[in-house]
Amino acid sequence: MAKLFLTPENQIQRLNIVLNNVKSLQELDTDVLTNVSIPDTWSIIEVLAHLNIAYGPYRNQLDEVIPKMTDSNEEQKPFRARPWQKMIIEMQRPKGTRRKWKMKTMKRFEPLLDRKNIIGKEKVKEIFREFFELHGHLKDSILKSRNKDVSKIKITSGIGPIVKFYPPESFEFLLCHLERHMVQIDEILNQQKVLTQ
Amino acid sequence: MKDKASLILKSFFSNLDLSEDEEKHFTSLWTLKSFDQYDIITEAESIERNFYIVLEGVQAIYVLNEKGEKVVLGFSYTGSPSGVFDSFVKGEPSKIFLEALKPSKLLVLCKQDYDEMFKNHFSFYKWGHLFFQDVLFDRLSREVELLTLTAEQRYVAFMKRCPEELKVIPQKYLASYLNMKPETFSRLRAANVY
Repeated sequence: MAKLFLTPENQIQRLNIVLNNVKSLQELDTDVLTNVSIPDTWSIIEVLAHLNIAYGPYRNQLDEVIPKMTDSNEEQKPFRARPWQKMIIEMQRPKGTRRKWKMKTMKRFEPLLDRKNIIGKEKVKEIFREFFELHGHLKDSILKSRNKDVSKIKITSGIGPIVKFYPPESFEFLLCHLERHMVQIDEILNQQKVLTQ
Repeated sequence: MKDKASLILKSFFSNLDLSEDEEKHFTSLWTLKSFDQYDIITEAESIERNFYIVLEGVQAIYVLNEKGEKVVLGFSYTGSPSGVFDSFVKGEPSKIFLEALKPSKLLVLCKQDYDEMFKNHFSFYKWGHLFFQDVLFDRLSREVELLTLTAEQRYVAFMKRCPEELKVIPQKYLASYLNMKPETFSRLRAANVY
């Protein structure tokens, strides 16, 4: 299996691409953001709500472990992901502009938005606000860990204790998960275009 | 520090034709920002909102290659301008990082004030013309060096013009700037070819 080396700079650059992408989504009409073009699939806003929920298990853990990590006076070397963790990360990573395969979302990560009532502008605004707040926290965590020894403390993944990550592995997992759902959002937008043509 | 800052500004903008009051106003637009070693000053895929002049320290601009390795495009150091100029001028995200390789103090002019200077002072256009002309000539001469010189010739040419403070940054940055492996850089340094 090819090695996977992780660097904070690469992660920051990719996270900024995602953040810019989501910023541009803010300009879309609420109808477009909440539209479910195919039954049993998510709307764009549901995808973002899911991403917010998915970050939940990491937020407190990162806040807890980062201050405990010792300072490293040297520049951080690329971090090598371990085989099991690499496999979990690679399952999320999209291949170019497509998702390698569809995955069933665990119940606790489902965005339980009330579809019977129209999702209003305020709710949409709130989900975007939360997205930028949480993923600003993610960027902050990557930046804070840049000059720390990241090879001592592990955190439990959102999947459960079966997968434990060192912080750079958790960042990579979260990024691949974000990128995967950005592909999904592109698919939703393309689907909507096809249906309106 | 204030004296040093105003000296550096005076020398950097020596061709500005400003009255005493205008010069006072111009100097007041600049603020001071400090960065620790290895702090990222500007992130790739973000918009550069500042024009910097270096008061202290060394910084590198770089992009990441496919393997995620840093490919160094240039350095800034005491007295030189700094920033991610393509993003700054266009107001769009770019793929370039700006990072402090040594603890750094930078004088900062924000984009709005920079644009105002162009709007209100014709001599700023003259400065801008000469500044970007210099940037272009520097980039052209570097491209010629990279495409025509051997690794040893590139090393010698660089060491001849390299300021002392740049010689103490981690070798891998200098090697990357010269498009050679750190081992090659190390061998040339050890061989005392310059």
